[in-house]
Amino acid sequence: MSIVADELIRFSSVLRMAYNFLDGRNYLKKKKFREKKKLISVGLPFSDLVYGFPDLVPVLPIRMHEFEIHKYLTYLGSASNVFGWNRVTNFLGYIKDLGIKDISQTVDDIIENVISTINSKYNEMYDIGVESGISTDFCYGVKSLYGMNVSKGKNCDANLNYTIRCSTWNKYLESIEAIGNPSKQIWIEIPPRNIGNTLELLVDNINQGISELEKISDFSYSNTALRNHFQTSNQIRQSYKKIIYDISTADFYPCNPATFCEILALLNISFHDYNSNATRYKDNITLLLEEMRGRINKGIGVDVSNKPKILITPMFGGWEPKTHDIICELGGRVLYGDWDLLRFLDDIPISNTTDPVEAYAQFLMNANENGIGCDNDKLTDSYVRLAKNLKAEGLVFVQVFGCHSVSNCYTMLKEKIRRELEIPSIALNFNKMGENVEQVRTRLGAFMEMYR
Amino acid sequence: MANFKLLSEYYLSLKEKKEEGKKVVAFMSHDNIPEELIDAAGLIPLRMIFAGNDELMDASHDFLSPSTCAFAQSCIGAFSIKPERYKFLELIDYFIVSNHCVSDICASEVIAKYFNIPRLNFYVSYTKTGNSVKYFKLELLDLKKQLEEIKGTEIDAQVLMNSIKKFNNFKKKLLEISNTIISGSQKLKIFHKAMLYGPDILPELDNIILEQSQTQTSDESKDILLTGCSIFIDDYLNSLIEEGGGNVVFFDTWVGFNYYYQIFDEKVINSTKDSMDLLAHRFEKNIYGDHTVPNFLERKVSHIETFYRDHEKKTGKKVGVINHIIKFCDHMSIMSSHLKNQLKEKGIFVLNLERDYSRANRGQLSTRIEAFLEMM
Repeated sequence: MSIVADELIRFSSVLRMAYNFLDGRNYLKKKKFREKKKLISVGLPFSDLVYGFPDLVPVLPIRMHEFEIHKYLTYLGSASNVFGWNRVTNFLGYIKDLGIKDISQTVDDIIENVISTINSKYNEMYDIGVESGISTDFCYGVKSLYGMNVSKGKNCDANLNYTIRCSTWNKYLESIEAIGNPSKQIWIEIPPRNIGNTLELLVDNINQGISELEKISDFSYSNTALRNHFQTSNQIRQSYKKIIYDISTADFYPCNPATFCEILALLNISFHDYNSNATRYKDNITLLLEEMRGRINKGIGVDVSNKPKILITPMFGGWEPKTHDIICELGGRVLYGDWDLLRFLDDIPISNTTDPVEAYAQFLMNANENGIGCDNDKLTDSYVRLAKNLKAEGLVFVQVFGCHSVSNCYTMLKEKIRRELEIPSIALNFNKMGENVEQVRTRLGAFMEMYR
Repeated sequence: MANFKLLSEYYLSLKEKKEEGKKVVAFMSHDNIPEELIDAAGLIPLRMIFAGNDELMDASHDFLSPSTCAFAQSCIGAFSIKPERYKFLELIDYFIVSNHCVSDICASEVIAKYFNIPRLNFYVSYTKTGNSVKYFKLELLDLKKQLEEIKGTEIDAQVLMNSIKKFNNFKKKLLEISNTIISGSQKLKIFHKAMLYGPDILPELDNIILEQSQTQTSDESKDILLTGCSIFIDDYLNSLIEEGGGNVVFFDTWVGFNYYYQIFDEKVINSTKDSMDLLAHRFEKNIYGDHTVPNFLERKVSHIETFYRDHEKKTGKKVGVINHIIKFCDHMSIMSSHLKNQLKEKGIFVLNLERDYSRANRGQLSTRIEAFLEMM
């Protein structure tokens, strides 16, 4: 596993993203108490509207928690504030090149632990959720979100709630108030289908949401601020898509495939709220793409042409993170692309319209119609599209216990995959991280046999 | 046995109508499907209001995961196994895919796709605002169009208005029945039959009211308000409640209050020119339904509390609340602990009764119900 860290250390952008995620609590405290900004809780990648207000900060509530950050990473964060990230990470690379084992080993540990630290915090949220009374019958994602709101929801001034096809999601959002969370609930309905003048209704719904945000903010809504943010978030999406489509489908990776999975996992988690700072996130993801390309151009990395591409999805509602390690051990490489599957990586079409709200409505409606889909046919088409575009050679479907929405499309999906893509697929049951690893290993062992 | 008679008679009646050239449109029971529109198109609405069992649930696992709502599982199972008692399901011509909850979407899609029943789409807004009512009207217009395609001609506005009035009178009669003092099992039997047959049995309901006004329930039974998920046809839950010494005096569920309280005021009917506006208006006023967010919990608590106080005033008896949660029901489950806590704070006893349709549960359910009734 030290290879993983060895590769990661050369991506300063990943270190920054990881640090920004893990250090969210301090960052958000600073924003809230020192800069008097207001925190707006979001779930799923629905944070964009919040960025239309300079004094509002979107946050996926788990980031308000304290993470166990190795003191060395804390040092890195502090040092970077003084010297800049590039210089700090170059220095670390230099130390590793010198082969100073103790120090590099410490760094290895830090990096490897980033994802597992986040994941164990998710498990902790799950436990808090269950202890607080949510039925164990719900999916991992909802139980964790519930736990996040129970433990940290009170720090937010509002929750920005978007309705989608998943009734558990909608009801979970309603339950936030019942938890005793004093924050304001702002609802934006995305209508189930795009019929008649639905888009106009959605524009109006978003405008009403904006009015509610305005009541919290000390600033008035400005088209310009929102448009500027959409430009930033579109740049994020473009870089993200390039990483998924250009880099992950190539035969030469800028790093070990296991490292690559961890980077994709980190992107997936941090994309919810862009680590509460979209501009910083854009800079990091742009740099990440550059760093990846730079290494590929220099021939630094790993030839993965003989490793079958296995798409693991969905992972946004919870998945066993060991899955990618196991597949990599068994000679494969893993691709993650949930947000593209759900059409959250499509551009917000600001160049087509002068009104950014209208553009955002089009974006949301597209995600709803063609990504999440109110209809399983649309949803499964989306899976097939992603698998096809990624040239996936196999699909691992994560069947989350208690998920009545996405997980329930597998029968339909399996048929479509067999008919349209002719690639193998397997469904893995998931309830909680770390709970079922041996069974996952056995099933994947049999699955990966097909590629030998 | 009684249900077997009901179901076989229903089969014969439906078959007769089919022979007359009528078509059947089925849907998983919920309170926002405009059955008047189906009726006005000359079609027969059929609500899926049938409980499950182990076999029916198991049969659905080829299509959906076992962690899907037991009712949705059973609906699929009914099409998959085709039990003799549900023979009338073979007569279904169309199935409405709707989004009361995501299990409704998934199960309805499975039924339409894998059992070759042409589907109609009708999706309902998730919130209750001016815009969501406007969206609901768009869906109504879309459904109307789909039904007109089946019918081959437009649905006449006057015919639709007549259907609305017919169903309105029918619901008023059910409300009347709900207010009688007959036992919970008798009420439930009537609701089941009524919701299966629709307004065609209106004359029969008059006789039932007359007959039942002579009967009285035992004063010793403990009064129960049943909320949460419905007790469907073939479910033994109500028998367990009565065997334990309880009597459901109020069915605060789909089969029951959620259906018959959606009555139009005569003034509203007479002053609204567009029938579609009336149906949209009903969606707006359906504040006790569990589909939309937010405020479901708040309204549910206040509604139950009002009933509790009124009942106590009227009869001098306290009402216990059984919150019936069908396993993996998104809507009822997530709010159950909050509902219980909030009602408890108001001094109302609540039993959160979660179960699926497996036979093995019967003993445990019985024990829990008995213990609850004793505690009352």
